[in-house]
Amino acid sequence: MKKDSILYVVVFTFVISAIFVTGLALANEGTKDRVAANRELTSQAAVLGALGISYGNPDEAKTLYAAAVTPIADASPRAYRATVDGSSFLAVEQSGAGLWGTITVIVAADPAGDRIRGVQVVSQNETPGLGGRIEESWFLDQFRNEASAKGIKVTSGAESKGTGDVNPDNGLVDGITGASRTSSAFESIINAALARVRAVAGGAL
Amino acid sequence: MSQSKTMSILKDNLWTNNPIFIQILGICSTLAVTNNLRNTAIMTIGVALTTAFSSFTLSAIKELIPRKVRMIVQVLVISFYVIIIDILLRAYLPDVSKQLGPYVGLIITNCIIMGRAEAFAQANKPLLSFWDGLTSGLGYMAVLMAIAVVRELLGFGTLFGLRVLPTAFVPWTIMIMAPSAFFLVAMVMWWAKNMQAAKAKPAQGKAGTPAAKPATPPAQPAKA
Repeated sequence: MKKDSILYVVVFTFVISAIFVTGLALANEGTKDRVAANRELTSQAAVLGALGISYGNPDEAKTLYAAAVTPIADASPRAYRATVDGSSFLAVEQSGAGLWGTITVIVAADPAGDRIRGVQVVSQNETPGLGGRIEESWFLDQFRNEASAKGIKVTSGAESKGTGDVNPDNGLVDGITGASRTSSAFESIINAALARVRAVAGGAL
Repeated sequence: MSQSKTMSILKDNLWTNNPIFIQILGICSTLAVTNNLRNTAIMTIGVALTTAFSSFTLSAIKELIPRKVRMIVQVLVISFYVIIIDILLRAYLPDVSKQLGPYVGLIITNCIIMGRAEAFAQANKPLLSFWDGLTSGLGYMAVLMAIAVVRELLGFGTLFGLRVLPTAFVPWTIMIMAPSAFFLVAMVMWWAKNMQAAKAKPAQGKAGTPAAKPATPPAQPAKA
């Protein structure tokens, strides 16, 4: 068969695609369980992180998670009841539009939504080095035990002090310089999550 | 493969025909990932492995590929290796995979890989093509790591995430953002071109003939 004939080109393209796609399918199949386990651990770690529970290794995380957290059945997106040091908290997963894509966070708060326990970012696609810094601890630590009865405000420009807002009682959090859109998106996601915490506490799913 | 040929390929890809500062390939990723040493290291290892293996594979099947669908097959093979790397990272290094996010998939758009497949693997034996791809990746890695050291040090005050400069040091925000990579790449090019020109000159003066290797590469598409 001539190498430039249409038949050869079609058959060759078909065969070579089949070979490589099969290779990929096998690789995907072989690592599927591992990837699923990793994803499970990531989601548990995010809930633990939002609740402020620290852990040393994956096994410890699993035990701590099982002891402190109960997922609420049928809640969508996911919500969790948790007991830490004798007081009860609610944690909810919340997604919202960021600058480039969807930002998904876990927010843990007391059932009345008056005080945030902590916030963790599950996934985001913001600009690396700018909006992507919402994952960094200096930013997320500002939410730790922040008063949120009137909602959270992410400040920018002249209002912010540039060092991170350390006062947990004013409901203010410093935004990220150069990422105003991400910061304000984050603000509305957190406030939506707080509204959901109150709704879940009131019995909604 | 003869030893002199492997050595000359190594020298070519690392210095005289470096993908970044001579061929000006793969600039997009240079701007994107070099603000962090760890991501740079993993990304460049990914690029080096992808280039090596895709060059090897394409060279091995080059007799079978019809010219009409040559590029399609190249893209297929390259994307195969990139997806394999992505799958392996997701299964065995989930943290790194999460941090790199879309960059792993973007290895596929790196022109160095296709450039080597077109310029070298088309006309050479598989093992030599593998070596050529690997050394091209190393040339890319050397430049990117050098840039990443400067950017992470000045932009965050850290190296590989470990604090090096005192906390009193005010980070240069520009170094985290893409524009700083433009300045740094330009400086590297300036330095490298000057070095190569200075080396070419005395050789010319003594022997009266032009330097053995021209500093400019054969015409290559200068896309990022």
